[in-house]
Amino acid sequence: MTTSIAPSATHTKLDIRALNVYYGAFQAIQNASLAVPDHCVMALIGPSGCGKSTFLRALNRMHDLQPGTRVEGKVLLDGSDIYAPGIDAVAIRHRIGMVFQRPNPFPKSIFDNVAYGPRLHGTQDKKTLMEIAERSLRSAALWDEVKDRMDKSALTLSGGQQQRLCIARCLAVDPEVVLMDEPASALDPIATSKIEDLIDGLKDKYTVVIVTHSMQQAARISDFTAFFLMGELVELSTTSEIFTKPKDKRTEDYITGRYG
Amino acid sequence: MDSNLGYAGGAPKARLPLLQRIGTQRVVRFLFGSAATISTLVIVLMLVFLGIYAFPAIRFNGLGILTQSVWNIGDQYGSGHVVRAGITAMQGAQFGGLVFVFGTVVTAFVAMLFAVPLSLLVAVALVYRVPPRLRPLVNAVVELMAGVPSVVYGLWGIVVLVPFIGQRLGPWTTEHLGFLPFLGGPAGSGNGLLASSVLLSLMAMPFMVATIRDVILAQEKSIFEASMALGSTSWQAVTKAVMPSVTNGIFAAVLVALGRALGETMAVLMVCGGAVGIFAQNIFQSVNTIAAVIVSQLESALTDPTGLAQKSLAELALMLFVITLFVNIVARLILHGADRSGEA
Ligand SMILES: Nc1ncnc2c1ncn2[C@@H]1O[C@H](COP(=O)(O)OP(=O)(O)O)[C@@H](O)[C@H]1O
Ligand SMILES: [Mg+2]
Repeated sequence: MTTSIAPSATHTKLDIRALNVYYGAFQAIQNASLAVPDHCVMALIGPSGCGKSTFLRALNRMHDLQPGTRVEGKVLLDGSDIYAPGIDAVAIRHRIGMVFQRPNPFPKSIFDNVAYGPRLHGTQDKKTLMEIAERSLRSAALWDEVKDRMDKSALTLSGGQQQRLCIARCLAVDPEVVLMDEPASALDPIATSKIEDLIDGLKDKYTVVIVTHSMQQAARISDFTAFFLMGELVELSTTSEIFTKPKDKRTEDYITGRYG
Repeated sequence: MDSNLGYAGGAPKARLPLLQRIGTQRVVRFLFGSAATISTLVIVLMLVFLGIYAFPAIRFNGLGILTQSVWNIGDQYGSGHVVRAGITAMQGAQFGGLVFVFGTVVTAFVAMLFAVPLSLLVAVALVYRVPPRLRPLVNAVVELMAGVPSVVYGLWGIVVLVPFIGQRLGPWTTEHLGFLPFLGGPAGSGNGLLASSVLLSLMAMPFMVATIRDVILAQEKSIFEASMALGSTSWQAVTKAVMPSVTNGIFAAVLVALGRALGETMAVLMVCGGAVGIFAQNIFQSVNTIAAVIVSQLESALTDPTGLAQKSLAELALMLFVITLFVNIVARLILHGADRSGEA
């Protein structure tokens, strides 16, 4: 599953340059630069609290929603900075979707969950919405389990199903990039492996950046892996390289289990 | 008795401390359980007591208490009596409660018309718009408003609100907007429906703001972020995702507030105008509520040698009790349902 393409060898979907993120006076990300090639899965790993979520949320301007949080640097999406003046964060989040750590379906029907985004963006036709819902649910490997109960509440689903529903909901607005923040951390192993399997299928259409605290998971699903430590991007490599011959001593310590 | 100790097998139970033997959980459950039982019992007893006391009035008045609008305790100085359904009252006595039922429902309803949208706005603003540094201040103001005794609201009503309505708002509105329903006709003194409803809404708002704020906060972040991450504006996130997911909680908060407004006495008594036997034709005219009339009519009712006037007031109280109990039970049921659907 891992490839040997170097990050520079293909079209760069996201190009993050000298990113700093501050929570008030506390600097959570220090000068991180990293390029994500198109149609690949990039994993962000590192010990808890090292800034993975903070980094991820900078990529679709989620930090805008929290007063007191400040982002410096550039995040280029297809070459243009999403933080440039005059750029609408709402439009950016339409192109860069996000799946959260805890499944957070709306307390609405399964159908209304998936249709929520398309409706926001102007699709009202029931038949079109149904097609979008089916396509998204298939991509999220959930269609077969819910096709007969689309109008049941999303809260009747199991945790794993809810998370796949959230993935489907995200895909339904046709994003270019999908950000995932430990999407399987609240799930059991079977639900986790379902999510891992479907992530592999997303590469054809999307670019995926996924935070995981499980190195095994990163090894299984990603093409590239970035290792963070205390707000610093320590090393970025192809996944096979980072796990077989890490360049930085700290990376090696981490993957051999010397940090938590 | 010993299901809690099932795991202990043949362990010597007698040596365990008493609390442990019974199970702490069970003690707590017993305490809470008996508290709940006792309060339910008190409510039932009050209902029974009121029912027994008011029973002669219930028989004498029949449906008239709900359909008639004349309240007259009869000729207290004459010697004539009327007897109906075997119950004696003074000559000319008629206990029609329709004006008071009408006033109770309408003042509370109009109060909710003001208070619900405003409370929603304030609660949403508190969660999303008020800068974090100012939030403790606004929250403190809300709590303080909730703690102000209703007689103080009433006094403010008499000193500020009633003159304003009577001398400015009423005359101006009836002259210029009188063609609209409920705005035409004589404006009156300022005591009346509008003044009562404004006070009731002010008194209901702190509770509603605090409750709606908490209901939103309990759900808010994950739902809000989920919507924002799909490319919604924050307005869309609040109106299409957050609010629909908290409607049950909001509805319950409104009902509890409504229950209180229906029974609020002092402030309304001070500004309602004390209508007897007449219905308000516009929002400025006098009204009366069940709670207010019980207080204002009690003294004269006590002079009724047959005792039926007091018993008729008790019948009104019983009706108010049943209405508010009903509203509160519905609110509880909705909240309970909301809790369960949130469990997932
Ligand atoms: N909203 C916040 N306000 C202040 N500090 C925060 C906030 N969120 C995260 N942090 C801090 O930023 C650092 C990075 O957090 P986070 O990005 O959540 O780490 P990770 O996702 O790698 O576990 C931690 O030290 C954390 O305590
Ligand atoms: Mg995290």
